[in-house]
This record gives sequence, structure tokens and C-alpha cells, in this order.
Amino acid sequence: MQEQSQQTMKALEIKDLKKTFRSNFLFKKYRILKGIQLSVEKGEIYGFLGPNGAGKTTTIKCILGLLFPDQGEILIDGQPAHSVTARRRIGFLPENPYFYDYLSARELLFFSASLFNLPAAIVRDRVAALIHQVGLSGYEDLKLRKFSKGMIQRLGLAQALIHDPDLLILDEPFSGLDPIGRKDLRTLILSLREQGKTIFFSSHILQDVEMMVDRVGIILNGAIRREGKLSELISRSIQYYEIVCANIAEKELAKIQPNFVCRDDQFFITLASDADINLVVESIIHNGGRIAAVNPVKMTLEDIFFNEMQPHRPATTAGGADGARTSRSEGAGRDNQ
Amino acid sequence: MIPGRLLAVIFMAGLLLAAGMQNRYDATVNYFGDRATFVSLPSGKALKTLSFGYSNLAADLLFIWSIQFYSATYLTNRFDFLERVYDTITDISPQYKEPYIIGSLIMVYEARDIPMALRLLDKGSRHNPDEWFFDQDAGYYCFKFLKDYPKAEFYYQRAAAKPGAPAFVKRWKAHLVYLNDDPGAAYRMWLEIYENAGDAMEKAAAFNHLYQIKSEIDTGLLEEKIARFRENFRRWPSSLVELIKARLVSALPSDFSGNDYIYDPEKGTVTAARIFRWKRR
Amino acid sequence: MKMSMKGIAINTFKESARNKMFYLLVFFGILFALSSKLISFLTLGDAMKVLKDTGLAAVNFFCVLIAIFTGINLVYKEIEKKTIFNILSKPVSRDQFIIGKFLGLALTMLTALAAMAGIFFLFVWMSGGGFDLKIILYFFMLFLELLVIVAISLLFSSFTTPILSFIFTVSLYLIGHIMWTFNEFKTVLRVPFWKHFMQGLYYLLPNLDKFNIKNEVVLNTAFNPWTILFSVLYALAYILALLAVTILIFRRREFQ
Repeated sequence: MQEQSQQTMKALEIKDLKKTFRSNFLFKKYRILKGIQLSVEKGEIYGFLGPNGAGKTTTIKCILGLLFPDQGEILIDGQPAHSVTARRRIGFLPENPYFYDYLSARELLFFSASLFNLPAAIVRDRVAALIHQVGLSGYEDLKLRKFSKGMIQRLGLAQALIHDPDLLILDEPFSGLDPIGRKDLRTLILSLREQGKTIFFSSHILQDVEMMVDRVGIILNGAIRREGKLSELISRSIQYYEIVCANIAEKELAKIQPNFVCRDDQFFITLASDADINLVVESIIHNGGRIAAVNPVKMTLEDIFFNEMQPHRPATTAGGADGARTSRSEGAGRDNQ
Repeated sequence: MIPGRLLAVIFMAGLLLAAGMQNRYDATVNYFGDRATFVSLPSGKALKTLSFGYSNLAADLLFIWSIQFYSATYLTNRFDFLERVYDTITDISPQYKEPYIIGSLIMVYEARDIPMALRLLDKGSRHNPDEWFFDQDAGYYCFKFLKDYPKAEFYYQRAAAKPGAPAFVKRWKAHLVYLNDDPGAAYRMWLEIYENAGDAMEKAAAFNHLYQIKSEIDTGLLEEKIARFRENFRRWPSSLVELIKARLVSALPSDFSGNDYIYDPEKGTVTAARIFRWKRR
Repeated sequence: MKMSMKGIAINTFKESARNKMFYLLVFFGILFALSSKLISFLTLGDAMKVLKDTGLAAVNFFCVLIAIFTGINLVYKEIEKKTIFNILSKPVSRDQFIIGKFLGLALTMLTALAAMAGIFFLFVWMSGGGFDLKIILYFFMLFLELLVIVAISLLFSSFTTPILSFIFTVSLYLIGHIMWTFNEFKTVLRVPFWKHFMQGLYYLLPNLDKFNIKNEVVLNTAFNPWTILFSVLYALAYILALLAVTILIFRRREFQ
């Protein structure tokens, strides 16, 4: 291996991936992937986002060689994904994982280890360490049919880590978990990044994604719509400002600023730009009102997501991450976090 | 990873080797020897029960099997259970007509047991009273192999009486009546066939039969009278007209075409212009 | 490479060995073998013959059932429950998966057969019968047949649903025991195309009846050692061909 080229190599790179399914009898073609293009840097957490049916799982199955792409290239550390060396670097957790329920957690991990050529001593140590790491200590000899969904998910992560892979591919790891399970999993994934692993995971639960990813790719109808650093995608996107006030008559407020809603005796005024803030706040105080808060409302991942999903988006926002700027958020760039 | 081409080679080689071993194996094994291993066949009633409502299918399968079994010529004892097998098939499905026909064919031509075939055909006729061909086959076997013309006539009479019996059955019937030495009745039957003939061929066939029968009757009669003449006059008549003069006949018959019979004054014999020889005795 | 195949094989064995169905069938096999004692009471003369006949038939029947059921279920279940994703996403080739599965199934069959055969021997011995080497040979031939059945069910379950696999495998099993009738067809058929067709089928379909030496064993007739040798080689060649085509099919399979 050339060391210098490995420095620049991406952990995962997908170029122009296309995949078509055929329905069995009608020979009707369904174009599932229409040229996926994405790259994952080493050591980052990459969120692969898209609604159900966008092609997330199909892409992942192509990476793992469970499906054969019609066209395109998938490289893992510069190696073709279907090669055995590439497969050695990947740890995979499928969506809604299911493991042989007649095995115990320990047996499953030993079985997974047996699929790699690992020395027995290392396997023994690693199984013990992983059981501890994913928090299944005390349950290692319980048969899997008695495991809860959260426990299965953790065990799934443990079996994906059994050979200490560089790249972890997780398909919808958060689906079906309760809030505590999700928090635990988040912590676990973040600690894995600390260890230098690259994590690529798909999700449609944006809240979890937003809290931990470095970069995201948004897939829609089999094509990547946007890709980039999460901070870049959302930090500069302050959508509008919100002024919350109370103790003012609705009629008076309507004279100052007609764009508001009323909720729980409070008024929420929406301002398109920060230029009017001072004027509006002064007028409210002048009319005896009380200012509760002035909030810049940033664009969330969800907003980006829904923006992308809108069928008739204006052409100006159609480009990549950098082309999607509107005038009102111009110059409001600021690093969040 | 094994190369795909190698796998294809392994597949082919495996099949070939297996086929070769099969051949070698077959060469070491004599599946039956020369005797069939016929243990037992349940009765038709039992099989009908066992077929759980698929009795027609059971009959089909047994019939198909029987055809294969009885064409396995190397089994020397394969006819031991012949009647039982076809009895069973026809018990399961009495309206299934082929087994009667094929079974009787095997009985006649392979096993050479005509009475057995007749029993099977009788059963077919009994269960399918509107079918003429069981009787026609039975009649034919009686005629051909038993040379039992009265019995053959009986079957043909029965066959001809059934609806839809084709013309040739009626012709056979007439022929058998003739063979059974009742030319007068045979003549009437053929005349009826002749008058109702459906096509030229049938008419021609009937004509020939009529010609033959009429010639036979007439020449027989004439020769009888000639013999009488010789008794009276101690010589052959010089022509047939002398028979009228001697008041032995009132008029000379002509053959079915309307031509005179040919008289040989040297030998005293009468022949028809056209000669048929059908009487196979 | 070898290690992962072994892992799959052992896991396959574990799966069937921890399946209730497996125990149920082994149990019934043993039960029926034992009930042959009852049947032998009903006979006159050589009771040991009847006891062996029914006992061997019971072992045979239930082993075949186990072979068909586990053979069909094990690959299909991996696909249906998506556990195969966990295996194929690791550096395990599809070839290794199939071979590993086959070895695991072979181990399963060996265990089931050994259990039933052991009890059968014990039972014959308790009924006053002697130990007969020929019966060992019978069990060996049965094992070969079971391997062929397992390979057949593996082939079908690598590309169709369990119901279809079951129908196909059972059909082939039944046809495999009446293959000699194909010879009849060859002599009867007149049309060259059908003649060749039947000839082709005769060599293509598994000929299983050659592994059935029950009658010779029980009646103690002489064996032709060549017959046995050809049968063994046949089984090996046929299994090899089946595995090769299974792998070829399975390589092309996509898992949606």
C-alpha cells in the first residue's frame, strides 16, 4: 500500500452508481438509483438522509455487494467494494437487524468472528470488550430470542465491530429505538469517531442526525440532491427573526406589524430581516407591550430536507450546497456550535 | 472465489461422471432378471377407495403403467396377471373405453388368449351399452382367430344394431351371415346396403358381394339342375337352354350385372363372368 | 477462507440442532423404529426380518424428511430473515456460504443418522439379533442419499421459495426412486427427439434407488462390490455437480 496516496483517499467513494430493478413478470423497469455520487472522508460521521424509498438501503446494499450495480464505481479506501480486502474494512449493521435467535450474544459474536480469520486469543478479548462497550454485560449468555430491540441493536453494533473495521455502515440505526436507546447509540457512535473510525449511516430521523453528523448527503428519488458539511448547510441559513411579546392588544400590534400569530396569550411576530427589529421592538414597548424574546430562527436540517423535497422548487435553489442561498440569509453566516 | 468457468466445468464433469457411473452401475445390475416381480395388485374396489376421489387419474396411471409393463418384452411372465390388471383398471373407471380396446389387443396379439379378450370386451359392452366397437372388435376376433362364425355373427349383429355403428359393421354382419351358409339372408342384407349405400365405394363393394352371392346361388342351382339332366339323359346338356326344354327350369337366371352365366358343355359346369373367391373355408 | 466456511457449517449445524422440528423428527424416527417390534409380533416365522425391515424403513423415512426440511429451510431462512446480510457483508464469498451450508447440513444429517442408527442397533441387539456389518453399509449408502437430497434442496432453496423447493425436492426424490422406468420409456418411444429427451433426463435426474440396499441387507443376499463403488462415485460426482450449479446460481442472486 502506498502510504501517501492513502492520506488522500476517501473512506468511501461512490461514483455514478445506477441500479434498476425489474418486476418479475411485467419486465417493467424501476430506476432506483439514478447516478449516486458521494464521498465520505476518513474519520467523519456521514449522515445519509432521505425519505423512505429514496434509495438509501439500495445504495448500502450495493456497497456491501448484496446487490450488483448496473453502473458506477464504489471504492472503499481506494479499493473496489466487492474485493475481500475492502469487505474486511467494513462493519455493517443492517436495518432492523435480526440475528439467529437460537444463539446467545456471546455465541453470535464468536460466529461473526469466525467469518474473519482472527486469532482465537484476540477474538476472546475483543468479544469481552465489545460486550462491555455496547453495554450488554450480564446478558452475554442469554438467547437472542429474549433480547429487546435496543439490545439487539447494540449487539448488532458489536458484531459489526468484531473485526475492528475502519468504516462502519449503519442502515437506519435509530429506527425503532426509544429516546434512551437513541441517546445511548449516539454516544456510542460519537465514541467510535473518537477512536478514529469513519461512520456512514442512513436515516430519516433528522433530529438524531443533526446532533452528531459532520457531513450529510440528501438522497431523493435515487439521486443525491445536496451534500456537504452540516455546519455549512445550515449555519448561514437564518430563515427569519421571531419576536415574542405579550401584554399588548391585538389591534395595536396589527398596526405595527401584521405578520404574527397568537398562542397562549403571546404573540409571535415574524420578521424577514434583522433591519426592522429595533423599530418593531420600540413600537411594542411604546404601546405598553412586554418583549419576551427576540430569536433568530435558523434553518434546521428538516427545513433543508423539506425544501429539497418540494416538487416545484425555484431554480435558484436547485444547485449544490453553495448555490442555495437566498438574499435574506446573505451575510448572516456564522458558525454555530 | 472459484472461477465461474471452473464451476461450469465442475458441473459438466460432475454430471458426466455421474452419467458414466450410472451406466457402469446399470451394467452390473439386472433390474428384474427375466421375471417380473409382481407381488399383488389390490382389487379395483380397494384401489378406488385408495385413490381418494381421483379414481379417473388412478385408472389413467394404472393404464399407462400397464402399457409400459406389457410392452417390456423381456419379461417372460408378464401375462400372468393380465386379466386381473385390466379388470382392475376397468373396475376403477368402467366408462374409460381405451383400456378395453388396448387390453383386448394385448390379450389377443401378445398373450394369444381370445376368450380372455372376449370377456373384457363383453364387460366393456355391458358398461357402455351404446358403443358398437366393443362388439365389432369381439366379432372380428371371433372371425379372425376362433373362426367361430356364428359367434362372430352374434357380435356383429349386436354391433350393427347400436346407434352410430358405421356402414362397414353392417357389411361385416352381412358377410358373416353369408359365411354362416345363409346366402339368401346375406343377399337381402347386401341388397339393403347396396340400395342405401352412402358412397360409390360402398356401393361397389356391395355390388361385388351381391354379384358373388347371386352367382353362387344361381350357379349352384343350375349345376344341380344340370346334374339332374345328366341323370335323365345320360349326357351333359349342350347348352343351358336345354334345361328349359327339359322343363327343369322355367327361365335362365342372369348374374347381378345382367349377363348370362357361362356354361362349359364338356364338364357340365356353370361359372359367372367375374369370379370372386371370398369363401375362406 | 477455510475458517469462515467452518464457521458457517458449525452455525448451520447449531441451528438445526437447536430446532425443535429436528428433535421431533429424530424422536419419531426412533419411535417408529421401536414400533417395528410391535409389527414383528404379528408375523410368523422370521420376526427379525420384519423388525429390521420396518426399523430401517423408519430410519430412512425420517432421515429423508429431516434432509428435505432442513435443507430447504436453512438457506431460505437466512435470506428471509436477512441474517445472510450479516454474513455476506463480511469477507465471506457466496461460494463459501454455500459450501459451508452444505457441510453444516451434512454434519446435521450425520448426527441424526448416527442417533437413529445407534438406537436401531441397540434395539436389534436387545431383541436378540447380532451386529451386522451390512447394516452399517446400508446406513452409509443412506447417508450418501441424504447428502444428494440435501444438495438438491440447497439448489432449489438458493433461488425459489420454500414451498416450491419442497415440491421440487420431494418430486425429485420420488422420481429418483423410479428412474428405472425411464429405461422402459427409452425402449418404447419411437420418436428420436423424445427418446433422446428421456435419455437425457435419465442421466440428468438423480438416480437414488441405487442407494437403497434395504432388501439386500435384510434378505442377506450377496453384494456386487462394484455396484457399491459405482454408487459411491455417482453420489460424489452428482453432489459436486449440484454444488457447482448452486454456487453459479447463488452468485447471481441479489438480495433486495
